[in-house]
Formats: sequence, C-alpha cells, structure tokens
Amino acid sequence: MARLVPSWTRLDKQQERDVRELIRRVSGLQDEADPNFQLALNFAWSNFRFHRFLDVNSHKVEKTIEGIYEKFIIHSDLSKAASWKKLTEEFLNSSLPSIKEIKTDAHYSILSLLLCLSDSPSNSNYVETPREKEVEKKDDFDWGKYLMEGEEIDLGPNVDTPNWSEDSEEEDAQQPLSREDSGIQVDRTPLEEQDQNRNLGPRVSWKDEPDGRSWLEQHVVHQYWTARPSRIPHSLHLHSNLAAVWDQHLYSSDPLYVPDDRVFVTETQVIRETLWLLSGVKKLFIFQLIDGKVTVRNNIIVTHLTHNCLRSVLEQIAAYGQVVFRLQEFIDEVMGHSSESPLPGSGSIPKKSAEAPFRTYQAFMWALYKYFISFKKELTEIEKCIINNDTTITLAIVVDKLSPRLAQLKVLHKVFSTGVAEVPPDTRNVVRASHLLNTLYKAILEYDNVGEASEQTVSLLFSLWVETVRPYLQTVDEWIVHGHLWDSAREFIIQRNKNVPVNHRDFWYATYTLYSVSEKTENEEKMNDNASASSGSDQGPSSRQHTMVSFLKPVLKQIIMAGKSMQLLKNLRCAESTACQVAARDADRKSLYTLFLESVQSRLRRGEDSTPQVLTDQQATKENLIKMQSIAERHLELDDIHDPLLAINFARLYLEQSDFHEKFSGGDICVDRSSESVTCQTFELTLRSCLYPHIDKQYLDCCGNLMQTLKKDYRLVEYLQAMRNFFLMEGGDTMYDFYTSIFDKIREKETWQNVSFLNVQLQEAVGQRYPEDSSRLSISFENVDTAKKKLPVHTLDGLTLSYKVPWPVDIVISLECQKIYNQVFLLLLQIKWAKYSLDVLLFGELANTAEKPHLKESLLSEQDTVAQFGSQKEPVGQQIHRMFLLRVKLMHFVNSLHNYIMTRILHSTGLEFQHQVEEAKDLDQLIKIHYRYLSTIHDRCLLREKVSFVKEAIMKVLNLALMFAEGWQAGLGAWQMESIEKMESDFKNCHMFLVTILNKAVCRGSFPHLESLALSLMAGMEQS
Amino acid sequence: MATGSGPGVSMPTNLNAVRETMDVLLEISRNLNTGLDVETLSICVRLCEQGINPEALSSVIKELRKATEA
Repeated sequence: MARLVPSWTRLDKQQERDVRELIRRVSGLQDEADPNFQLALNFAWSNFRFHRFLDVNSHKVEKTIEGIYEKFIIHSDLSKAASWKKLTEEFLNSSLPSIKEIKTDAHYSILSLLLCLSDSPSNSNYVETPREKEVEKKDDFDWGKYLMEGEEIDLGPNVDTPNWSEDSEEEDAQQPLSREDSGIQVDRTPLEEQDQNRNLGPRVSWKDEPDGRSWLEQHVVHQYWTARPSRIPHSLHLHSNLAAVWDQHLYSSDPLYVPDDRVFVTETQVIRETLWLLSGVKKLFIFQLIDGKVTVRNNIIVTHLTHNCLRSVLEQIAAYGQVVFRLQEFIDEVMGHSSESPLPGSGSIPKKSAEAPFRTYQAFMWALYKYFISFKKELTEIEKCIINNDTTITLAIVVDKLSPRLAQLKVLHKVFSTGVAEVPPDTRNVVRASHLLNTLYKAILEYDNVGEASEQTVSLLFSLWVETVRPYLQTVDEWIVHGHLWDSAREFIIQRNKNVPVNHRDFWYATYTLYSVSEKTENEEKMNDNASASSGSDQGPSSRQHTMVSFLKPVLKQIIMAGKSMQLLKNLRCAESTACQVAARDADRKSLYTLFLESVQSRLRRGEDSTPQVLTDQQATKENLIKMQSIAERHLELDDIHDPLLAINFARLYLEQSDFHEKFSGGDICVDRSSESVTCQTFELTLRSCLYPHIDKQYLDCCGNLMQTLKKDYRLVEYLQAMRNFFLMEGGDTMYDFYTSIFDKIREKETWQNVSFLNVQLQEAVGQRYPEDSSRLSISFENVDTAKKKLPVHTLDGLTLSYKVPWPVDIVISLECQKIYNQVFLLLLQIKWAKYSLDVLLFGELANTAEKPHLKESLLSEQDTVAQFGSQKEPVGQQIHRMFLLRVKLMHFVNSLHNYIMTRILHSTGLEFQHQVEEAKDLDQLIKIHYRYLSTIHDRCLLREKVSFVKEAIMKVLNLALMFAEGWQAGLGAWQMESIEKMESDFKNCHMFLVTILNKAVCRGSFPHLESLALSLMAGMEQS
Repeated sequence: MATGSGPGVSMPTNLNAVRETMDVLLEISRNLNTGLDVETLSICVRLCEQGINPEALSSVIKELRKATEA
C-alpha cells in the first residue's frame, strides 16, 4: 500500500465511486436512495475494512494456478490447459493500469480474486460446455471485429467515416492479440467461418442487387428497435459525429473505458418517437414505460450528440410523456366506465355501478379529451412535416414549437394531480367533485393574478373549468327550474334527505344537507342555517374536509332557496295538475348552462363590436387599448372609483376576446379549448356578470312565484291575520265574547276549567264572525304548578289556544311559533281579566254593603246610634273613599298597560310586520320575518327572562287588582282598614318600582317603545 | 512510456499495453467461469490495485449475488 502515496482523498473518492458502481452492477440496484442499496454499500465497506483474510500470498496463488493447469491436463483439456498457462503467464508479466511493474501483489491479488470467484475448477461441475462457450465468445470478440472491419471496407463506401477509420486504427493496435488468439484456437476456425457466413450471408445477397437494396434503404425505415447494432449512413462532417469524437476521447483518456453497446438512431427517429410519446403511444423504443413510469432507454445515441446530452433532452420529454400518460390513463379510466355515453353530462346518463365515475369527473375527462384531440392534431401536423421532408425539423425546433403546449401540459398535470390524483380513494363523490372544481377555480384565480404572463394558461383552465362545471350547473338548473335535485352519483354539494316527504312540516328545514364547509366561518354559519340539524347523522362528525364549491358561494343561498321553493311549488302545483303546460314551456327554455355560455360569449364579444377599426394590427391594438381604457375609466369614475390599473385591465379584457366568438360561433355550444382570448383578469367578474344573474333571476322568479302562490292560493296572509285575531286578540269583539264568559264564570266562582265548556264558548264566539276559523281553533286547559295557582292572577295559567294550520302554511306558522303566540295570549288574557274585573265593579255595590252594618246596628241600640254612627260612619266613608281612589288608581294602571300592549306594541308591530310580509322575497325571508315579529312582541310584552322582574311587578299589580275586585264584591264588611292600607302601599311600591325602572330604561334609550308606558304610569304617580 | 501521474490516469502510450492486459484478464476470468463482465472486472481490478483484499472483495460479490438471487 506504501506505493499508493498520491492524494488520499481523491483515491478514497475513486474507491467510493468504484464500490458503488460495483454494487450497482452486481446487485442491479440502480437507485442509490434505495435502502437496500445503502445496506449493500455498508455491507461491502464493512467487509473491506474489517475482514479477517490474510494478505495475498504469491506462492499460494502460483500453486493454485499450477493446480488448475494440472486439473485441465488430468481432464485432458489440453488446449484449455495451454491457454490457461499462457494467459496467466502473460498477465503476470504485463503491467496493470496503474502499476507498471510486473508480478506485483496487485497481480496476484487480482488472480486470487478471480480464483475465489471461480466455480472451483477441480469440481466435476467444471465441464466442457462453459469452456467451449468461453472460447467461442472469445473468438467472437476477436475475430468478429477483426473480420467485420475488413468486410466493411469492402462493402460500404457510404459507411466509413474518418472517425471510424480511426477506430479501426485503434483496433489494428489490438491485432497482435487477436492473431495470437486465433493462433491458439486453430481448430475452431471452421466454426467461425460458418458464423461469418451466416452473418454476411444477406449482405452478400444484397450485393447482387444494389438497386433494390438502395431503394429499400431509402424508403423503409431501418429497424432500429430490434436493437441490432448497425450503422446508419450519415454525413462525414465532424459536427455530425460528435458522439464518436467524444467516445474516442473517453477511450483514449481512460484505459478502463469500455464503450457500451449503443443503438444508433437518427434525430428524425427521436423526433417521431417524441411526437408519438406525446400523443399517448405507450409502446415505444426510445421511451420505455416501466410500471407506469416513462423512462428513456439508456443505450440510445445519435451520432451528433453525446450520450449524456441526448439523454438529458430526452428525459425532459419523458417527463411530459409521463404527464400525457397519466392524463390518458385517467381518460381511459373514466371512458372505460361510460363507454355507452361518450358525451358526459349530456343529461341522461344511465345509472351505473357504484364505481362509475360521476358526472363531474366525466365532464373533466371530456374537457381533457378535447384538449388532447387538438394537441394530437398539432403533433400530427408536425409529423406530416417530417414525412414530407420539406422543412428542417430538429428536436430543438420541435421542443420549441411545442413549448406552449408543454407548459399547458404542466399546468394540466398540476391541476390533475391536486384535483384528482391526490384525493384519497375512499373519498365521497361530493368531496371529490367539489375539490376538483375548487382546484380548477383556485388555479384560475391564481394564474389570473399573474396577469398577462399567464393568459394562455388562464384561458386553458377557463375552458376546462367551463366544461367541468357543466354537470354542476345542470344539477342546479334541474333543481331550481324543475324542483328536483337529481344527483344519482351524490356529487352535488347539496343533497336531498330521502326520508322527508315534501308535504311535511319539516320539509323546509330538514330536506337538504349542505355538504360543504369552507375555510371561512361565515359559511359554517350558513350551513347551520340552511342544512338541517336533524339530518346531521348523514354527514357524520368525522373529519370535516374543507370543501366548498367556491364559485357557487356567492349565490349558494339563492340556489338553495330557489331549489327548495321550486320543489315546494312543484308539489303545490301538482295538485293543480298543470304539469303538461310546464313541460311545454320547458321545451323552448334555455338551460342555465346554455345561458351561462351565451352570456360569456356575448360579454366577450361586446368589446369587439365597440372597436371595429381596421388599422395595422399593433396600432389598432394600442389605440383601442387607450380608447377602452378611457371608456373604462369613465365608467369606473361613475362609481367613484379611480383605479387606472383596473381600467387598463378592463380595456385589455375586451380587446383580447376578439377571436373568441369566431371559434365559438360554430354552432357548438361548448367553449372550445382554443378560446384563448378568455383572459380572466376579471374571472370573478365574468362569473358575476354571466352566471350569477341567471341564477338570481331564477331565484327571484321561483321564490316570487312561491310567495305569490302561498299568499294567493294558500291564503298565507289570512292565516297570519287569523293568528293575530285570536292569539293577539285583534279580533276584539270575538275574543271579548269568549273571555268575558270565562271571566264571568270565575267571578261567580263556578268551575270554568271544563274543556268542553271552554270550546263551546270559543266556537260560539268565533263561529259568528269567522266561521271558517272556528273548525281550526280549539282550546285546552292543563293544570300547572299549584303553588303559583294561589295567586288569582295565575288562575288562567294552563289555557292553551291552538290553531290547526294547514300545510304548507305551517312551514311559516310552526308549532314553535304558536307557543310564543300562546305566551302572549296568556299575558293578554291576564291583563284583560284584571281590566274586566275592575271594570265590572259597581260603585253601588260597595255603597250597599256599607249601609248594611249601619242598619243592623241601628236596630240593636237606638241610643248609641248617633254616637256610634258618627264614630263608625266616618271610617266607613273614609274606607269607601279610599277604595274608590284605589280602584281608580288600579284602573289607571291596568288601562295604561292594556293600551300600551294593545296599541303601542301589538298594533304597530303588526303593521310593520304586514309591510314586511308583502315585501318578502322568499320563504326563508318570510319565516325569518315572522320569527322576528314574534320575538319582537315577545320582548316588548316583557316576556323575556331578562326583564322578568318587571313582569313580576306587573303581575303583582294585576294580582292586587284581582284581589281588590274580589274584596269589593265580597263587600265592605270583609275589609279591614289595614288590608286596604296594605294594598295601597303594595300598589304604591310596585308602581314606584315600575316607574323608576321604566324611566331608567327610557332615559338609557334602550327601549324607546316603553316611553309611552312610562309616561302614562308617571302620570298615575303624580296624581297619587 | 511515461509514468502514470496517479491511479487510473496513465499516458496514452501505456494504454494499449493496459488494454491488452485487461483482455488477457478477461480471458482468464471467462476461463474460470467467474461470471464477471468487462465493466465489473475493471472495477475489481481498480479496487484490487487500491489494496482491497481480494478475498473480502470476492466474498462481497458472492454475498451480493446471493442476495440478488434470493
């Protein structure tokens, strides 16, 4: 080792490289990153460094060689023995690549290595055959080359090149060896000759007919794919022999360089294979498809490029080939499932097996397919050029020509891999579909932001998107126009819950599931609003994929509203059987998708019409740009926006779309891929102006229709009025009849809780004026909370009015609404009762009862009469007066409250509500308005938890009023002065409390509606 | 016949001699049925020249072959 002084690091590097190469060659592992490769490398190094073998012993090796020689002799392999002896001796006496000396340790170590690797020669396995083969091979190696050189010189004047002659010189140098070899192997000569004849046979026959051969050579493509090494006639110029020159250089600089077995092809062949690869051909020679991966065959070479250079160029192409292959695979995959219906999304695709790709994928596939058709057309044209041979076409020219296409392929692949390939296999269709659409949409926006630089890309993506979105728009169209959400593959973001029939109360809330949550929280809220909570089981709480078809986001609400409204409407209309009319009308209706395309088209054409000048191209463009810019700017200024950049972009948008409609107006509805002009500087704007208005229009149409139908045919407004009439007692006379009969009963202390009595009273009262409502109204009574019942004001608790609202109006007036109505109803009843109780009291009653004790007493003792009467009359008169006063105060209070609630609250809020109902655009809005109305009156009637203390105070006063009325009726005798005083003070306290609270609230301004109540109560205060 | 300035780099005049040696060596290798091809053989020669123990090398090659077959 001492002699290996020179730079260690370099030596080590070389060693490392050699060991890696060795492993690659022996194990066949090509990828260095492969863990197995690393394992092998570690194994090799540890063996080299930490072995337990002795150093090479030259004597031992000599002995072994001798032994093998003897073995050959013993086996009577004399010729082999002779060659063995000769070869080993020759080797030991020659110098090695880096060692000039002979018979060094290195020599012995190499021999030792070979001996170790050999299948022990003494073994009986070591038979004739390998020996013969070896010798044969050896002969091939020497003689073949040697003789071929000779033949070529004879044969082809067109074959030789200066370089090859150099090569032959090199090989001439090898001649001594060959001759020596041939000298040894005298007995093999006949065999070689045979071989030689076989090889040369056909050539010789061609020699006889040179015309036919040259014709064929000119007209038939050489079979380069058979990998038979051959020489192709080519120029003798140095430049077209770069590969050979480079080979020569390597050969002369590296003694161990062994030229690989290479297949020579022409550049034309490479170009054609490139074109084939890009057009989706899988079985090629230069490009190999291994496990779905396109690779470049290793041993391909053209004469004018070095191997590495060619390889690097081809590897780039192979990458695009890979993309084509992957996309083609997707197309085949989708096509394979739907071979019957080549037009995806054409409306009626029969339902297939569960794995059948859904319509969005089919549409996407169709868009890709169309793209590839045009791409292939381009490729074919290039190939035709090559075949015609009339223009110069090189690989570089082809790659350059295709570069925009290749860039598009890259984009397509990016979109495809994020939108389709990377989606985990068990994903639901809805997620896949919306993910794909989202990816496209995002890609468009992304490239759109780049501006002019990516116009081509944007237009490509836009056309893809327009195609892909077709099923979605058709689904939307079907839903908002016909009312059924027809989505067999379950790919639409909204899906119908099967278990809810249309004519069910829950229809509006629980019918559809919105399968989308976007990244933003606002949409989650939206989802909660629209999608039903009850149908949540279908969605499952499991890993929420954040998907949302972004482009539908702005109109999602409208779509949902319109869809639901339409479905409802359809069902309402069904009863009226106008289906055939609708069908007839539908025949000449344009689908949403068509409308969308037409709008896009007209939007893009508009710019062209406004700039019809014909000047030289550039000038025209410039002038138009300036003109458009000024127009756009003016427009923007109208909206108070000063943004010159925006104006320029507007202008550009209209200019660049000039060729759009030419390609578009071929009667074909679908936007051609070549609609390059659709620059989407304003992609969202395009959507806004081309898609959303149609949806909006349909939304307004069918929601308005539904509102009309509900209001007209289903008398929604009348039902709302009925609710107010009965629950909110707006039908005063009717309800008066009803409640006074109850109050009278209570006053008489008779039982009134009897349900049949209550219902009879109700029917009688309602039947007179609202006969149609009387059948729907009923009243029930349930006993509640006896603890509370002690207070007279709570006697009425438990009375529940119910109104049977027919479908579909019960969507608006739901049971929950009726509960709120009932709460207000009860409060009103309590106030009315207090008011009634106070109203019916007669002054005479009290006066009469006041006189009775006086008469009694006068009978008992006349003498004391004057004295006693005088002493008693005074307090009785005072008592009566105080009771009169108290009564008036209570009446004032109750009347103020009554007025406040009946006029200020119920009536004015009711008027507002009526206006809003008239203006409501859709059912959801109507429902919301109704709820808002109910919650408003609920709040203002002080029924909310938060203000319960106010309500309690009021209840106390009402209670006082009722107790007072009871006492009044019982007569003065039942009264003690103290109880009157207590009542007075209680009332005063409550009154004070309420006035203070209300004033505070009014001053704070938080409840402006309370002002009137506060004022009137204040007025009562001042008097007292 | 100038001296090589380092391993693997020799003057071209030496080339033919080296190439002859390699040919001889290839013949020996074939004669012994080692199963080595030209490239592998030249790698082995380089490694041996650099002092790698031949027996260790052969054992590595055998093991790798075994592992590849398995």
